[in-house]
Formats: sequence, structure tokens, C-alpha cells
Amino acid sequence: MIRVDNITKTFPGAERHAVDRVTFNVNEGNICVFAGPSGCGKTTILRMINRLIEPDEGEIFINGENARTMNPATLRRTIGYVIQQIGLLPHRTIEQNVAIVPGLLKWPRDKTRKRVLELLEMVGLDPGEVGRKYPHQLSGGQMQRVGVARAMAADPPIMLMDEPFGAVDPIVRVRLQDEFLHLQQAFKKTICFVTHDINEAIKMGDYLVILNAGRIIQMGTPIEVLTSPADAFVRDLLGDDRGVKILDLTRSGSLMEPANALPESPGRNGCTVQAVQPVKIALEMMMKKNADQVGVCEGETIVGILTWNGIKEHINRVSGDGS
Amino acid sequence: MDIFMDSLLRRAPGYLPEHLQLVIIPMAIAILISLPAGIIVTRPGYRRYAEKVMALFNTAQTIPPLAVIAIFFPFLGLGYGPAILALTIYALLPIARNTIAAISSVPEDVKEAARGMGMTPKEVLFHVELPLSVPVIMAGIKTSAVLTVSTAVLAALVGGKGMGAVIFAGINFFRPELILAGTIYIGMMAVILERLISLAEYMLVPAHIK
Repeated sequence: MIRVDNITKTFPGAERHAVDRVTFNVNEGNICVFAGPSGCGKTTILRMINRLIEPDEGEIFINGENARTMNPATLRRTIGYVIQQIGLLPHRTIEQNVAIVPGLLKWPRDKTRKRVLELLEMVGLDPGEVGRKYPHQLSGGQMQRVGVARAMAADPPIMLMDEPFGAVDPIVRVRLQDEFLHLQQAFKKTICFVTHDINEAIKMGDYLVILNAGRIIQMGTPIEVLTSPADAFVRDLLGDDRGVKILDLTRSGSLMEPANALPESPGRNGCTVQAVQPVKIALEMMMKKNADQVGVCEGETIVGILTWNGIKEHINRVSGDGS
Repeated sequence: MDIFMDSLLRRAPGYLPEHLQLVIIPMAIAILISLPAGIIVTRPGYRRYAEKVMALFNTAQTIPPLAVIAIFFPFLGLGYGPAILALTIYALLPIARNTIAAISSVPEDVKEAARGMGMTPKEVLFHVELPLSVPVIMAGIKTSAVLTVSTAVLAALVGGKGMGAVIFAGINFFRPELILAGTIYIGMMAVILERLISLAEYMLVPAHIK
């Protein structure tokens, strides 16, 4: 869907490349997260995809078409764009803000209006309540929702999101992340997502691109990156709780021992988790109930058992350094 | 009292249309020049000049109006034309300065989002930059108009006529009632013009500020 081929960008007067020979692909329907410290080039990469910045070298292909050959304004109208500062037009109402891209594409008025109402509802806002308000009358969380709705207005297949949930408090951020992942399950957009928050990267990403000083340090699925960080930089970025993060991404079902192999009846004390729930939940339950094992269910039936020792062995195995 | 009422109601009003011309013509020319100029110097390609232009205008603004007329007198001589020219130059400054300041202060994130959504530079100018700049540009026009009303009095010194003729006649012939009458009309004109522009401003400013 998006193919970035060996792009390099140096800003005038800068000593080193902002982006240095970066190559990657983003598959259709995936969220590709670019993570790294500030100044690592992640935002520059994003802005090169919709040509707000032109690469010095290298090519970007969108749906097989070279971005350089497309009209920048036309290109941008087919790519949703969300930035941390949101950038709602302060002199336009919420409805008018969401209707900007349909307006640029000259959609008929009633089609635009229907779409706007649908989008506001989709992102969890009441169109009757906020539709006619101006951006400054909204809370930070509401504005972020409007930003997402506006980017999705013309139903672009591709979205670029630059720290879209960066400006809200942690509680609202988690809620927005969850809601967005929920929407993504339905819409399957191809998304490039920039964040400096590694937890957000692991949570949102189907695929991670870890950057430092303009270069790609490591690429892979979150679990690949967590289980085998390429170097000390990535290990530092992931933090000291790498093992726990792995447990957050591991389903209980994948670590359990099947129920029929066990002599003892599992799930005593009613202590069970669903097979699809992360191992972290099972751990939490063990600690609460002071148990060393929990039953693993699929729906109502117990299919296996997850033990404390089993989890410990798994962490030792995947993080590789016995920590 | 009778002499004063006579000055106020019979002598001075005749000079009003002249004075109004001395305000409206320079204002119209000044707006037509400084709005486009302000827009041009804030375009990305010329942005580095914006600050220099601002500095120039700020300096020019500190020159007293009498000095402006005095500077042009040797080149342009006396009369209506030179007065209009001097007043135009003086009226240009606040409008150009405010236009540049207003457009430069449109938040970068709003412009970035507008570009990122696929607005062309022209669409960004007309849908984002100008609407958000209206209040400050209108403030500049207001300052300029009020300034021109009072500066236009000096036009009489170079033979430009207007209400200045009444006031200076009062000074020269020691007729305080003429000075007073002229001053009252100048004051009224300034207030009425200010109110009119405020009304236009109210109709033009984006709704979120109201």
C-alpha cells in the first residue's frame, strides 16, 4: 500500500540527515508505528508521505504510484492526516471542520452533511451537542475526536497520525486508543502512526519501526521487537519491564497446559481467565486470589490451566537474559 | 455664544465634504495598496522580508504627520494632490503593519492541518489565513482612519483645504470659536468613522470571536 524506498532528507543548515536511507513497506489494513526519541526523524518521514516535506533522495510509492508524480493537494485529499495539535480551524464550527475535505472534493451538500453526522457519532460525539460549537468550546479529548473524524471524513484508505493522542491526559488517552483500535477493526485503514511513547507503540502497532537519529534501528511486530531487541538502544527504549510487556501481548491460551493433561481440577476458587485475554490478566488474578494457577476458559468451558511456573519459564525463555 | 453657533452651524459645515474627501481617498488608496502588500510579504517565498518590512513600517510610523507633509512639500509643492499623497503614505503604515502581523500570527498548526488536508496555498489564504486575520486588519484600518481624520487638518497648511482651513483661520485671526467648531467636527468625524468601521468589523469577523 505504501512503499518507501531509500529516502533521505537533510534540512538546510543541519549537520546530519534528518532521515537517512529509510526503506519500509506498510501493508494494507495495518497500523505501522514509528517510534523513537524526539529528533529521530519519525515526523519527517510521515510528512514526506503526504509531501508536506519533499525527500532529497529516494521514492515513495502509494498504491504503486510514485508520490512525486501526483499533485500534492490531490494526494493529500486522499490521505487522512491527524496531528498532535489537532489544528482545527478556530473560525469554523465542528461540523464545518469535519466537512473540510468533502468540501474540497466538492461533495454534494446533503451527502457531506450525512457523512459529518455519521462521523461525529462514530467517534463518540453527540452531533446535536457539539456540531454547532466552535473548537475552543470543546475539551481536549473532544477536540482529538473531532481531529480523527475530520481525517476520516472522505473515507481515505490511508491515514497519517502524528501523536494523535499526545495532548490529552493519560486516562482519556487510553480510552481514545481503545476506541480507535475498535474503529480500526471495522475500517481496516492503512495507517502510519508516530509516537514517542513505546507503550502506545506496542499497543497500537501491527508493525513497529524503531528509529534513532534518522535511521531505522529495528523493524518487526511488537512481539518480535520485545522478544529480540536489536541492540542496547532498543532495549533501553522498551524499558526494564520488557517481560511484563510481553505478557501483555501474549494470550493466556498460548501458554496454558491443556486441561486433560492435568490431574487436578483447574479453576478452583472460580479463578479463570479467557484464553484470548493477555497473560497479564491471569497474573493479576493469581496475585489477588493468592493462587499459583488459574483456569483458562473458552467461553464457559475450561480448556486448560496456566501456572505461575509456566509463565516464569516463558519470560526467561523469551527475554533470553534470565531477567 | 451667537458667534460660536454661527461658526459651528454656518461657517464650518461647508468644509466637511472637503475634509471627508481628504480622509476617504487616502484611506481607499492605502487599503488597496497595503492589503495586497501585506499578503505578498507573508507568502512562504517572501517571508524572510516580512520582518524587515515590519521594522521599516514601525520606524516610519514614528515620524510625526507634520514632518511627513514637510518632507514632501519641497518635492510636490502645495495643493490638494500633495496633501492626498502625504496622507496616503501616512495611512498605509498601520494597515500594512497590522496585515503582516495578523497573517504571520495565524497558528502554524492550523495552517499545517489545512495544507495536510489538501488545501492549495490559495485555499489556505482565503479559507484560513484571511478570515483569522480580519480582527487585527480591521483594527489597523480603524487606527489609520482615526489618524487620518486628525492628520488631514494639517493638509490646510499645504493648501489642501478641509476642516484645517477653519481651525487655522481661527488660530491666525484669533477667533477661538472657529477653532472650537472645527475641532468639534473633527472629533465627531473620528468617532462616527470609528463606529462605522467597528460595525463593518463586527459583520466581517469570524463567528467564534463574537
